Amino acid sequence: MEKLKLMLVDDEERFLETTKKLLTKAGYEALTASSGEESLELLGMHTVHVVVLDVKMPGMDGLETLKKIKTLYPLTEVIMLTGHATVEDAVDGMKSGASDYVMKPCDINDLLGRVEEAFRRRKGIEERISMAQARSYVKSPREILRQKAE
Amino acid sequence: MQENHYFSLKRKILASMLITPLVPFVLAAVVAYEHFSISTKADAVSKMERIVEDHAGLVDTFLKERKADLGFVAEAYGYESLSDQKTLSQVFKILQKESNAFLDLGIFDQAGVHVAYHGPYELAGKLYSDSQWFNQVRKNGSYVSDIFKGFRKVPHFVIAIAQKDEDRTWVLRATIDPYLFTEVVEKVRMGKTGEAYILNQEGVFQTSRRSGGDLMELDPAAENLLTQHHGARSCILKDKNASEYLYVTTWLPSQPWLLVARQETSDTFADLNQAGFWVLIIALVGGAMISVLAFYMSNRIIARIQQADQEKSQLNQQLVVAGRLAEIGEMSSGFAHEINNPLQIIRAESALIDTIIPDLKKRGELQESEDSRDMEDSLEQIKKQVDRCASITSAILKFARQKDLTPQTIDLCETLPEVTHMIARKAELDGVALSLQTEPPPIRVNADPAQLQQVLLNLINNAIYAMVDRHGTAGGGELKLDCNREGDKAVIRVKDNGGGISQENMEKIFTPFFSTKPVGKGTGLGLSICYGIIEKMGGNITVNSEPGVGTEFVITLPAAG
Repeated sequence: MEKLKLMLVDDEERFLETTKKLLTKAGYEALTASSGEESLELLGMHTVHVVVLDVKMPGMDGLETLKKIKTLYPLTEVIMLTGHATVEDAVDGMKSGASDYVMKPCDINDLLGRVEEAFRRRKGIEERISMAQARSYVKSPREILRQKAE
Repeated sequence: MQENHYFSLKRKILASMLITPLVPFVLAAVVAYEHFSISTKADAVSKMERIVEDHAGLVDTFLKERKADLGFVAEAYGYESLSDQKTLSQVFKILQKESNAFLDLGIFDQAGVHVAYHGPYELAGKLYSDSQWFNQVRKNGSYVSDIFKGFRKVPHFVIAIAQKDEDRTWVLRATIDPYLFTEVVEKVRMGKTGEAYILNQEGVFQTSRRSGGDLMELDPAAENLLTQHHGARSCILKDKNASEYLYVTTWLPSQPWLLVARQETSDTFADLNQAGFWVLIIALVGGAMISVLAFYMSNRIIARIQQADQEKSQLNQQLVVAGRLAEIGEMSSGFAHEINNPLQIIRAESALIDTIIPDLKKRGELQESEDSRDMEDSLEQIKKQVDRCASITSAILKFARQKDLTPQTIDLCETLPEVTHMIARKAELDGVALSLQTEPPPIRVNADPAQLQQVLLNLINNAIYAMVDRHGTAGGGELKLDCNREGDKAVIRVKDNGGGISQENMEKIFTPFFSTKPVGKGTGLGLSICYGIIEKMGGNITVNSEPGVGTEFVITLPAAG
């Protein structure tokens, strides 16, 4: 079983630091990035299953980052973390491909629950992809017969 | 300044409202009256001229008849028989039968000797050869004298004719009763003051005048009347009493006498004066009506303008306050958002501590003790307080962010608890027991949730203020909210046991800027805005209050679905 790798993206350094500690303690492998640019850079070097992405950041904001991630790494699951109590940003995020949203301040266990769920979904998709690939490699009996006839 | 502005505006409106209808109105009245008066006057004058001309003919005929009488007698009897006193008397009687205007009758021979005479005077034998009338009659064949006194010393006039036989010319003369002649002339009657009389060429009265003027007196107006003219002539003259008279004169055809008819102009033009009177009355009444209407309308217009201006300035003030409130809302949403980040960190930190503590315990680095329990307890507190802050920021964001007022179908059974939740802590601190009772959900209405929230918060805050005012913060305040369906309406009641509202304040409670709170405590906008919001939602808001017992606000909204 592949181990869940996740990345936290937020402009609050202390939040990243503490949360990373928490996640490590809980046995997760976590990367942190303090900006959208940094997160994209890291994604290029590491395999990450789930990204927890803050919406409001200086520079490249959450929604923009989300769109980039989804174009470059479509299989990566993204959970939006929003300081706004409104659903609007979250809905925008979901439309652009985010799989879930969490409102600040969030409980770490609640966040982890959602991360796990996203990971499961990712795994499921990956499995289906590999099955589809396997099917194309394994030829059907009818095809073998046809090939013999030639 | 402002008052002056209204005053001058009012003056302008009043002036235009007065002048615009009054000018054509007065012009129409004046022109119509003028035309009417000209034609009426011309009518009256021409009517009188016709009468006078007819009458002149009549008077002239009278004189001609008398002459003809004499001519007939002279022809029929001849000089010889008339010279006989007896025959003369007999003839006179016959003449008298014909016309009792004859007073006497006499016959003169060629030399002017009064040969025979029948009448009240002793005139027989007198010589008239030098008399002017005798020479005239011999020359012209007939003669009518002006009135004179003669031998008799009483006014009279004579008619004489000359009769030519083959060898001599003799004269028959009769005296005419001037009073009877006056009667004939006077027969003309026009109105109350109309009268007719005759003047000779010198302007001496030949017939007496009813309104004064005896025979042989000089008419004071004579010099204006004695002009040579054909037919009738009219003029208006004033007599010595300054009364105006319309004079119509015409010369008799066969005698140098002027027939004069006169009538007081007030009498002649009585119809016109009557018409003038009514025109004046109508003009006055119409003018008064126009003026009253103009005053009334200009007052009303100014009142409306004033009211509109007042409403406008109130609205402006409301907009200023509303703008400020919106700004504060915007700012507080920014604050709330910023606060969420530190809260997130605090939560993460406390979660970290939470995971570290069991590890420490496991490794025996942290002994179970009162201090450790206190530490865990305070950690628990930190989490709880973070939760509380989170719920506050979430409420602020929800309240402030809903700017676009889109009515949507909301369930009061969900909205009301949210509101009471927001205010619960404040109520608790102020010693107010807040309770909410709703019917089983849903109670749906079409409303903007943020606005409804604003209204309810306003009412609740007012209620809490009133209860703290009465009971203090130690407790005793009871605020009851309930929400029910009543037919096709949803009814929300907010009932407190505060100090109540006095009767005089009840009337002003929904007017903008009315406040019972001390200066600086309230904007005074609350209830008027609430009223506007609820009205816009198609509902209404009423208040029942009893001083010393409490107040109940009732919001009625049309139910949806």
